[in-house]
Amino acid sequence: MDVVDPRPLLAPLLSFACAGLVFAAGENVFWRRFWTFLAAGAKLLVVLSMLPGTLAGTVYVSHVVTFTPGVSIALRADAYGMFFALVSSTLWVLTTIYAIGYMRGSKDRARFFGFFALCVSTTVGIAFAENLLTFFLFYETLTICTYPLVVHAETPQALRAGRIYLTYTLLGGGFALIGSVMTLDLAGTLTLSQHGVFASDTPTLALAAVFVALVLGFGVKAAIMPLHGWLPIAMVAPTPVSALLHAVAVVKVGAFGVTRVIYNVFGAEQLQALGFATPLALLAGFTILAGSVLAIRQDHLKRRLAYSTISQLSYIVLGAALLTPLGALAAIMHVANQAFAKITMFFVAGAIVKETGKTHVSELAGIATRLPWSMAAFTVAALSFVGLPLFAGFTTKWYLALGALQGDAWWFVVVMLASSFLNAAYWFPILHLAYFRAPEVTPETPPQATPDASDGSHAGVAAGGPRRWETSKTLLVPILICAAYVVLLGVTAEVPGMPTSVAVVAVEQSFGLEAPLP
Amino acid sequence: MTTLGPTLLPWLVALPLAGAALVPIVARRDARWAGGFTFAVALATTALASVLVAQLASQGPFSADLGGWAAPYGIELHFDRFAAWTMALAALFSFVIPFSWRYLDATLPRERWAPFYALMLLNLGGLLGFSVTGDLFNLFVTMEVVSLSSYALVAVAGRGVAAWAALKYLLLGAVSSLLVLFAVGLLFALTGSLNLADVSVRLAAAEPSGAALLALASLAVAFLVKAALFPLHVWLPDAHAIAPSPVSAVLSGLVVKVGIVGLLRVLQLAAGTGISLEPLNTVLMVLGATAIVMGAFLAIFQDDIKLMLAYSTISNIGYIVLGIGLASPFALIGAFVHVFNHALIKVTLFLAAGAIIHQTGYRTLSDLRGVARRMPQTAAAMAIGAVSIVGLPPTAGFVCKWYIALGAFEADQGGYGFALVFGALFIFVYYVRMLDAFFFRSPVRPEVADAVEAPWSMRAPVLVLAAACLVLGVLGGIPIGFVEPAVVDLLAALGR
Repeated sequence: MDVVDPRPLLAPLLSFACAGLVFAAGENVFWRRFWTFLAAGAKLLVVLSMLPGTLAGTVYVSHVVTFTPGVSIALRADAYGMFFALVSSTLWVLTTIYAIGYMRGSKDRARFFGFFALCVSTTVGIAFAENLLTFFLFYETLTICTYPLVVHAETPQALRAGRIYLTYTLLGGGFALIGSVMTLDLAGTLTLSQHGVFASDTPTLALAAVFVALVLGFGVKAAIMPLHGWLPIAMVAPTPVSALLHAVAVVKVGAFGVTRVIYNVFGAEQLQALGFATPLALLAGFTILAGSVLAIRQDHLKRRLAYSTISQLSYIVLGAALLTPLGALAAIMHVANQAFAKITMFFVAGAIVKETGKTHVSELAGIATRLPWSMAAFTVAALSFVGLPLFAGFTTKWYLALGALQGDAWWFVVVMLASSFLNAAYWFPILHLAYFRAPEVTPETPPQATPDASDGSHAGVAAGGPRRWETSKTLLVPILICAAYVVLLGVTAEVPGMPTSVAVVAVEQSFGLEAPLP
Repeated sequence: MTTLGPTLLPWLVALPLAGAALVPIVARRDARWAGGFTFAVALATTALASVLVAQLASQGPFSADLGGWAAPYGIELHFDRFAAWTMALAALFSFVIPFSWRYLDATLPRERWAPFYALMLLNLGGLLGFSVTGDLFNLFVTMEVVSLSSYALVAVAGRGVAAWAALKYLLLGAVSSLLVLFAVGLLFALTGSLNLADVSVRLAAAEPSGAALLALASLAVAFLVKAALFPLHVWLPDAHAIAPSPVSAVLSGLVVKVGIVGLLRVLQLAAGTGISLEPLNTVLMVLGATAIVMGAFLAIFQDDIKLMLAYSTISNIGYIVLGIGLASPFALIGAFVHVFNHALIKVTLFLAAGAIIHQTGYRTLSDLRGVARRMPQTAAAMAIGAVSIVGLPPTAGFVCKWYIALGAFEADQGGYGFALVFGALFIFVYYVRMLDAFFFRSPVRPEVADAVEAPWSMRAPVLVLAAACLVLGVLGGIPIGFVEPAVVDLLAALGR
């Protein structure tokens, strides 16, 4: 049932306000941190306060302003939106801690943390968007606010990456706009609160145009092949940005948009009848395999992570495109599973660069003796991606396989098995190097210059001096918490009150499918 | 109370014109007084305009007969929702004038200040007169007041290039004025009347004739020249880029809109005459879409920031004309709202650019690298303006783009929707270059590296305008609700 409540608006608004104050604080470290944490913390608390209601099936709605007749800017926290908002606000708090440690001593931190806060505020706005217009509003704002983060280093290749990023995402935004306009023209509404808005007698060709436009529009950020070109290039951004935005916020927003299009603009029943989901599922299946194959060939660690992200995101798209309850459940759960595992890996990659200056996989021999806790966390994440039971990734694959069988798409089970092998093929060599090979030189060769200049943080020698064991606490604590989440998500799939239960509510409430679990 | 509107309406035009006449007297002792006086007149005019708009909102459109001679024989001023919406345009003068105070210090010798401010007020008076006149001949007269003061304002900077740009502007402007005069004469010969409403009624009563068609077509072409619709734009870039920045803002944001308001008056004239508007609409759609793309394309090659801004005006006029050509309710609403929103955005951009040029002495992208480090507030306003003009949400430009695109699909012309949305992105190509240069590059010029923020009299108007760009993006429903009844009336008159 829908309840009018200010909190869906309050969550993004609070953090928008704090983002403004972060800019105002400028180079004043204390106040900048204060407002950053207040923004992150306040938003998480607001989102958490809605959780009990969500589990009981309540949907909170706040209407902001009538934008144009019939279309308003409105926010609506349904279970799926809540799930996404929970993931992004939890990770924001962790990433903030990490970023403070990582960016210590680098330039333009006011700009960095200001836009960082803006990005995550818009992510919650997207999660709670009641209609396509509100969604688009925040979607484009996110594009713009990410740009200064991508080009943060201000080097020629960062600027080039920024331009490529903008080209892809703004073209995508253009398609999303066209798709939204066509939806309004055909259906007379833009709402995302229903399970399909089109009348059954709408011309199929027009619907196909809408579907293609919207999926293109949101698929760019979800990096569905062949729209993925920007993602590996955008890895020049500082590691916290790559972690939060390119493994979590930006790309997940794309995947979130695609699922909203499938279940809320079209609706499972109509889409099943139209048959548009099958080509999308095939494309996603292709992306899963091709992304993994490309990942194997990357020696640069962050680029390998990027291709893995491309592959993993398509799990969400594929799960949603199966149009079965269990497939949908897997898609929702993977939003969290992939986020926590991938952010762990990015954090570790950043810690490695920060401590040793090493950016390539081939340099990582014996790194586990230097960074044992970090590499343990990395191992947890890798095992999760491979899909071992007790780790988060397994639950996704399990439900995804069941969902595929529900939809008689046995070929997809094969895709998934292949993907597991490929995942093993590019994660295990890293683990092997890290644990079972002796370092080629002495482990303590901290870089003298600015090895991390490529991502603009100018990390240099870590503050604790060359003999320090592990990495600084502000980096290590978020890494370990994220890794713990990966295990937690893996073992609590059927425990009531845990994230999965929100996902279960979402399948019924937000997607209009029958209950996935008895 | 009921007669307040008609009583005040003539003063709306008289006030700035009288102010213009008084400026040289005020400035006799000290040229600096001219600026303050002009600001006071602009504010008073804006206040008067708001009273009239309030009257309109409570009572609907009203007219005033000058000298007590009733229409159609006397001169009639008419205040409808289109006219009221252009009042918002005039309000932008109140931002441009204070900006000019310090700007003129550096750019104009003191003896030219009084003519400058007097011309600005003449321009304002002409604009207001143009939008409220109910009479064809005065439409011509006020248009000439606007045009002549604009030529002079372009030339006011005084150097050789300015004179050349002003001449080019004058030549094309004169052709357009002649066409208007020709059409007015023709219509008078056909109908024996000069009152707009009366002419429309009499045209409708008469047989559709070639002469009437010729008159309306000449008017349309003349106004499209004034609006600088591609390919009739050749006069615009130089004139707008050479003029002092406050003048560029007025010319690019407001004066080109004379053409658009004029075009809408042509549509009102044609309503009910039985003359098919289909050919005109097709031409408008094609030229509008072409203008969007070509304006953006030509701008890419500019290094001078003011030339870039001038070319983007061509693109934006393309939006508006495309919206008018689509002739569906949503498209027309979007087009008309963009008349003001574009003015707001363009004035923001030109004033911000002016502040940057004033503080650093440079005007090309390659020289201005890194300027945002030293002038963060002005540069931020410029960034907001850039995002608005591309039409990304949540800014004022998005509202119009949304509406015109919706109108394209409503009129079953989806292709134009595509042209609009992706043409707009094309515009962003050069604004990204600008933002990159300002924000993410190191200064190459010592003047830029040591620049300081602009003085408050320049910065405050820029910041308030930039904030307005954001506010109108979120509260887009307000202007739309305001112009909607007028568009519905117009479409009803056109038989749609």
